[in-house]
Parts: sequence; structure tokens; C-alpha cells
Amino acid sequence: MSETLNNEQLALNNLREDVEEMMQSVLAQFTKAQEALLNCDTNLAQEILSMEKKINSMDLRLDKSCENILALYSPLASNLRYTMAVMSISAQLERIADHAVGIAEYIDEGIIDEPYEDDILEKVKFKEMFETAISMIDDAIYSFINEDTNIVKWVFGKDKTLNKINKQTSDLIAALCKKNPKKVKQLLYLFSIMKKLERVGDLAKNIAEETVFYVDAKIIKHKKKKKYMP
Amino acid sequence: MAEENKLVEKPGNAPPEMEDNKFVITTHDANVYYGNTHAIKDVNIEIKANTVTAFIGPSGCGKSTFLRLFNRMNDYIESFRMTGDVVVNGQNIYHDKIRVEELRKKVGMVFQKPNPFPKSIFENVAFGLKIMGRKKKSELHEIVEKSLIQAALWDEVKDDLNKSALALSGGQQQRLCIARALAVEPTVLLMDEPASALDPISSAKIEELIFNLKQNYTIVIVTHNMSQAGRVSDKTAFFYLGELIEYGKTKNLFTNPEEELTERYITGRFG
Amino acid sequence: MNRVNINRYKDLAFQVVGIISTLVGLVLLAIFIFSIIKEGIARIDLDFLSSLPSRKAEKAGILTAWTGTMWIFFLTAIISITIGVAAGVYLEEYAKKNWFNNLLEINISNLAGVPSVIYGILGLEIFVRTMRLGGSLLAGSFTLSLLIMPIIIVATREALKAVPSTIREAAYGLGASKWQTTSMQVLPAAAGGISTGVILALSRAVGETAPLIVIGALAYVPFVAKSPMDEFTVLPMQIFNWTSRPDHDFVINAAAGIIILLGITFLLNGIAVYLRNRWQKKISW
Repeated sequence: MSETLNNEQLALNNLREDVEEMMQSVLAQFTKAQEALLNCDTNLAQEILSMEKKINSMDLRLDKSCENILALYSPLASNLRYTMAVMSISAQLERIADHAVGIAEYIDEGIIDEPYEDDILEKVKFKEMFETAISMIDDAIYSFINEDTNIVKWVFGKDKTLNKINKQTSDLIAALCKKNPKKVKQLLYLFSIMKKLERVGDLAKNIAEETVFYVDAKIIKHKKKKKYMP
Repeated sequence: MAEENKLVEKPGNAPPEMEDNKFVITTHDANVYYGNTHAIKDVNIEIKANTVTAFIGPSGCGKSTFLRLFNRMNDYIESFRMTGDVVVNGQNIYHDKIRVEELRKKVGMVFQKPNPFPKSIFENVAFGLKIMGRKKKSELHEIVEKSLIQAALWDEVKDDLNKSALALSGGQQQRLCIARALAVEPTVLLMDEPASALDPISSAKIEELIFNLKQNYTIVIVTHNMSQAGRVSDKTAFFYLGELIEYGKTKNLFTNPEEELTERYITGRFG
Repeated sequence: MNRVNINRYKDLAFQVVGIISTLVGLVLLAIFIFSIIKEGIARIDLDFLSSLPSRKAEKAGILTAWTGTMWIFFLTAIISITIGVAAGVYLEEYAKKNWFNNLLEINISNLAGVPSVIYGILGLEIFVRTMRLGGSLLAGSFTLSLLIMPIIIVATREALKAVPSTIREAAYGLGASKWQTTSMQVLPAAAGGISTGVILALSRAVGETAPLIVIGALAYVPFVAKSPMDEFTVLPMQIFNWTSRPDHDFVINAAAGIIILLGITFLLNGIAVYLRNRWQKKISW
């Protein structure tokens, strides 16, 4: 397909580059947050915090670009859907990044001053949950960039996994609190981090829904996603 | 579809009529040839009453030619030839028994470049009535006023209807041409890029006019201004190289067209 | 001297040449008119205008001549305008644009260049002899109508061509028939151009002598024509006749006749232009 080069196409190309950049940055933030938490690495935490401003400005810039495109070019069909999808995705990405910053703050402020013990993490399936959340973000990003709605299935499948783990979290944490009364505070923070992970999973799911909207012109949020389940 | 709506021969001199039609305009396999050039290819379309339908497509795709089938304005071109059926208000208008002058009173037309007669405003609007034989001054005045009101021009010209039509601005002239077409009380109004020669404000006035006229008329508008089509039309038909590629509700065509060709055209990706 | 200066000098040179050319024409015309007026103005009085011609110069008048000219003018106008405009409208609006009609269009223009004497001969055979009209006003005006017909037809066609096709399109779009469109919109819009052509054509007819001589208009007509079948004479003939007399008084008469002829021509043209302008006001382009 030979592309006509005009201002509208140029703007859409730039939008594509910018949203991909934000996607990679946010994925990196979140991946760092996992490492920082597991190793209780304050340096890494500070790196995460220093990136926060940049990511927020990326979000603002994407919003502005979309606004300009709508005003100037009155895009239609796939161009319109792309622009609308990006507006929504940038908001989701910004919230994911916020959660990463939240985790980093725990470490940087010394609220969590030593790494969690492996057997505790094992019990609540923490590592599995974090891995799943990260891979959901990765999959959602991949499916949008490659316009591949098949990948979307994986995201929804993994969301189920996340929900399964999440269901048991409160009970497991409560039991651990009883067993280790001295570590209640750390356990509570662990609990809040796992809630964050659950929300991040939701956000990745939203991004996947935007991909379906853009590529297939179907709005599947709030609906049963029969076609897109594995 | 072809089975439901059959043409029935009528006794005497009347042209054949359509059974059971709910559409104001229907075409069945309409083809147009200019000599050896196949300009319109097997087009089937149905247009409902009191709707605004937009014909869009790149230059030379045949949308104007197709529009002119509805009031037989193509007849004046030497090499013109058509096959298929074009049914307007229940009658096959290319049948021998049809009187073209009668057809054109029911199907009015507004052209791209405003073309008022070099006469007064009053004479312009009254012309259509005079050729029908209406002479009574009071009747003419009444209809002229009504038409100018419908065309949103009355307030601007009521003080001097004897002023020359050519002294009006472009936008006013076009509204005058609309009033002129409305004076003969058509049911269908065909508009061939009516606002393309006008400035944005005049163009907006025409769009407002179309919105108001929709209640009483069926309007078909050819436009190459996509956003105008989006603003004024209920349904849109996309033509390319003489074929009807896609026809559907404007909001669907603009957000998620079914055909790739349509998508390429409206997103500006045509070579 | 650079390019700009060369161009400026060329500009100036052309202006000078143009002015001289114009002046030459105007000056010669002025000399002519002045000398004619000086020669003949004294002779013009009511007697002169109302007397019949006579062999005695003092008694000779141009009554028959100028009434003949007026007769010829009005008869020719009626015949040529009716037939010429109708033919022009038919050829331009109704006739199919095929090779035959293109040939016709070229040949009608050619006819305008045929020497007027030929028309006289044609008129003599058809109108005077075959139709037995004799050397009458009717024969004369038919002949002159033939002569100026091509001018009127061409002018009519050109005027009709100049009416934008969008006007016709608009009329057809409203359901007008071809005749309604032509008579109610196209012809009125073309009226200006048509009347200009008609004025030019009739001016030429008023000054024609050769064809009228051929068909038998007499130089000496001692009565005023009262019907189209009467014999007649016209001013140009009367003037020509007088200038060939040896008697100098007749030359003065001729000069006076020329002044009257010029006056009538200017008057007729003036009225026609006035009427055209009044008509044009109704149709404002």
C-alpha cells in the first residue's frame, strides 16, 4: 500500500512512534520495579522515580497530538479509531507507570527495607503474579504495535490466571500475618503491591481491548469476550 | 429485491408504474455509455423519502453522471445511452411514454456553479411557474415568496425583488437557484456539488438549508467534500470508476467502512 | 541602452504611430464632412426636402429619394430581421451539429463577401422577372434582405453562442421545453448581440446603390411611392444621378443630398442604439 505523504499521514506516523516509545518506557519501568522490589535495590528505585516526569510528559504529549489530529484532519475510519485508541492507551500506560512508581517509593522511602523471604513469596505466588502482569503488558503492547488481535487472546487468558491468584491473596496474607506477627507491616505492604499487580492486569486488558477496537472496529469492553478467548 | 418491485403496465397513455414501492428512487442494473465509454456499471440503489443521500468518490467516478439519470439531464449529450431501470416516484422514467418536462418538475436540480437567469430575482423564481402556464400575478407572488422563504433568502431580498439576480453574492445566487427549483414543488431535489464554488460561510448556510429542507423533500447531493457529506447526509454512496462500491449509513461508512477501497478513499490514501 | 529602455522606446513609438494613424483617418473624415457641409448646407430648406426632382436644379428636391430610402429601410428591416433571426436561431439551437451544417455555416459567412451587384442580378431574375414584382420597393427590399441576411444570421448565431450553456441547462432543469428555453431565456439574453448585428446590416442596406440599380430602381422618379409595389428611388441613387450632371448647381444639390443621407443614417443608427441600450437595461449581464 503506497502511502500518500501529507500532514495527516505525517502526524499519524509521529503518533505511532511516540506511543510505541511510551509503551517501551512503561514496560521498562514496570520490569525495573519487579527487580527493585525483589532485591530491595534503592538505586534502581531512584532510577524509576527519576523517569516519572518523563513518562507523564509523554502522556500529555500524546493527548495533545491526538487533539491536534482530530481538530485539523477530521480523521475517518481506521485513522479515527487509531487516534481514539491512542488517547485511551496513553491513559492506561500512565496509570501502569504510576503503579511502578508506587512500588519504587516503598523501597526508596525505606518502607520496605529488606527483601521478602522466598517462602513467603512462594506461598502467595507473588513471583508468578508479577511475571504474569509484566507479560500481559508486553503482550498487549505487542498486539497493538503489530495489529494482531490473536495475541489479545493471551492477554485475556493471563488475566484469568491473575484473577485466580488474586482471589486467594487476602486469605493467604491473613494466614501469614497470624504466623508471623512481627512482620505484619511488611505483609500488609506486600498485600497492597499485589493489589497493584491486579490493577495493572486490568490496565493491560484495557489496552488489549483498544487494539480490538482499532483493528476490528469492535468494542468489546464490558462485554463477554467469547471470540477473543483462548 | 427485483422480485418484490415489479413494473406494471398501465392502460392508456400512462407510463408503467411500480408496485409496492417505499423508495423514492430505485435503480436496477443501471448502465450508462457515452459512445464506447462505459461510464456507469450495473448500479443498484434505493433511496428513501425525506432522506439526504451523499454521492462521493474521486473525480470522474461517475457520480454526477449517475445523479443526472434521475432527471434525464444526460439526454442532451449526443453519445449518451443507458440500460437498466431508473424508477422515480414509482415510474420508470426512461420509458417512452414519459414526458421529460413533467419529470423535471418533480425532480429539481441545483448546479455546481450558481446559474441564475440574467433577469430579476422575481423573474428567476417565477420562471418555472410561467412555463407551466401560471399567469395570475397574485399566485406568482405568493409562490415566489414561499420559495424564497424556504430557501432562506426572503429576508435578504424582500425589499427589492426586481433587482437583478446577478447583483447578488455567490451564496445568495445559489440560494436563489434553490428557491427557483423549489417553486415548481418537486419531491426530489438533486444537488450537484452545490457549495463547492462558495466560501465557507455561504457553504454552511447551504448545509443548514439542506437540513431544513429534508423534512419536505428527498435530497441527493454529489460532493467531494468529505466533511460536508458527514455533516449533512443520512446515507452515503461511494462510487469508483463507474461502480457503486459501497452504500450505507453515513456514520457507519465513516467510522468503519466495509470495503477496503472505501477505506482508502476516505482516509485519503488514494494514489 | 538596456532592455527596459528599448522596450520603453518601442512603446512610445507605437503610441505615436497609433495616434498618427487615427488622426489621418479622423482628419480626412473631418475634411470631407466639412467640405460637404460648406458646399451643400445652404441648399437645405423645407422646399428641398419636400420637392419632387426636376430638370431645373433650383426646383429639384429629394422628397422621393428620402421617402424611398425610408420605405426601403423599413421593408428590408421587417423582412430581413424576421427571416434572418429565425434562420440564425434554427441553425444554432435546433439543427444537428453534423458535417452538412458545418458546411452551411462556412458558406453563409462566405455569402457576406459576395459583391452586392451579384445580389442585384439575382434579385432581377427572381423577384423582378419570375415573381413579376417589377422594379418595385418590394423587389428592392427582398433583394437587399438577401444581401444583408448573412450578416444577420452570423450575428444572431454568434450572439446565441455567447449565451452560456448554463442558462439553457437551468431552464431545462426546471422542465422548460426547447422552445420555451429559446424564446424566454436565450433570445432575450442574446438580444444585445443580435441587435448590434442588425443595426450594422441595416446601415449597410441604407447606403446600397448597385443592386437597386440592377433591379431597376429609377434615377428619375417624379412621384412619391405610396405602396410596396410602386417604383422608387433612393438617396444614394439620386445623389449619384446629380453628380453626373454638368450643371454645377446639381453638384450643390448632391452635396445637400449627402448631408441628408448622412443625417438619416446617423439618426437611424442612433435610434437603434438607444433602443438596444434600453432593452439591455432589462437584461443586466
